[in-house]
Amino acid sequence: MTVLRIDTDDNRRWYLPGDTISGRAVWSLDEPCEKVELRLFWHTSGKGTEDVEIVNSLSFTADATHGDRAFSFTLPLGPYSFSGTLITLTWALELITLPDGAVESVELIVSPTPVEVRLEDLDRAPRGFTLNLTPGRNKR
Amino acid sequence: MTGRPADNPFASRRIDRLEYRFQGIDVQSITDRLRKTGGRGSVIGPHGSGKTTLLEHLAERLDGRPVWVRLSAQTPRPVEAAVSKLPRPITKEHAVLIDGAEQLGPWSWWRLRRRTRNARAIIITSHSPGRLPTLHECTTSQELLTNLVDTLAPGMAENIDLDELFLRHEGNIRLCFRELYDAWARG
Repeated sequence: MTVLRIDTDDNRRWYLPGDTISGRAVWSLDEPCEKVELRLFWHTSGKGTEDVEIVNSLSFTADATHGDRAFSFTLPLGPYSFSGTLITLTWALELITLPDGAVESVELIVSPTPVEVRLEDLDRAPRGFTLNLTPGRNKR
Repeated sequence: MTGRPADNPFASRRIDRLEYRFQGIDVQSITDRLRKTGGRGSVIGPHGSGKTTLLEHLAERLDGRPVWVRLSAQTPRPVEAAVSKLPRPITKEHAVLIDGAEQLGPWSWWRLRRRTRNARAIIITSHSPGRLPTLHECTTSQELLTNLVDTLAPGMAENIDLDELFLRHEGNIRLCFRELYDAWARG
C-alpha cells in the first residue's frame, strides 16, 4: 500500500508570514515512480473560480520505493490564510508522486493570529485601527 | 458568524466534482454515436444544464490526447484565444474539446474547424444544434436539482423550496447552486 506522509517539526500547523516551515517528507510506494514532489502552495475555494499558486517545491528522485527526506521552506509575507463571504484562502503542503499522482496534503495557517483571518471580524475592529491584509502595511 | 466558503457545500470545488447524471441514456450510447459520426459531435443544451460536466466525462473516455478549448462570453477575441492554445500540428493523436462553441461566429468556427480537421475527435458544447451532429441534448428538471442538492447538502432540500428556485432560474442549475451557496453562507 502506498503511504505518503508530511511531518512538520513539532507537528506545527500555524506559521507567521515569513516563518520557516521545516519537517520531513516520508514515502513508501508499491512501485517506484519517476519522482516525488513536495509543494508549498495556497489555493482559494468558494463561490467563484479557484486560484492556486505553488510558492515553492522540492523534487526528490524516487528510484527506490522508500524515502525519508528533510525539507525547509521560507514562507512569503503573504497572502494570509483568510475567509470572507466569497472565498477562503488556504495554505497547504502537498506530497505527490509523479506521474501517477498519489497525493497527501496538510493544511496550514499562515497568519499573524493562530486562526485564519475572518474578514467579517475586521468590521468589528476598534475605530481608528486598520488591518491591511498587505503584510508590513498595518497602520494604527 | 457565517460558514467558511471552503466548507460551503455549494463551493465551486464541490460542484465541479459532481458527476454528470445521465437521464434515459448512458455514456456508452453517446460514444457509440460519436463513432458513427466519424468522431465529430456536439453536446447541446441551455445554460447550466451540465454540458461542460458531460464533456469532461466524455473526455476521459476518448482514445486521443485531449486538447481543451474553453470559451466564454468573457473571452476576448475567442477564436484567437482558442487557436493560440492549440498544439501544432493537430494530428490523429488529439481529441479536441471545445466548450462554449456558441461564442464563435461563422468565420471563426470555420477557421477553428480547418485548424483541427486532422484531429481524431472533435466534440463541442453549444446552446443550439447545427454545427456538428448532436450526440446528446442536456436537460434539467426539478427532480434532478433535488437529487444534486441531496448529494451536496443532505437534508437541505427539505428546508428550501427547490421547485420555486428551479422555476425562477428557468432550469439553470448553476444559478440555483449560486443562490444556495448564499443561503448556506447566511446560515
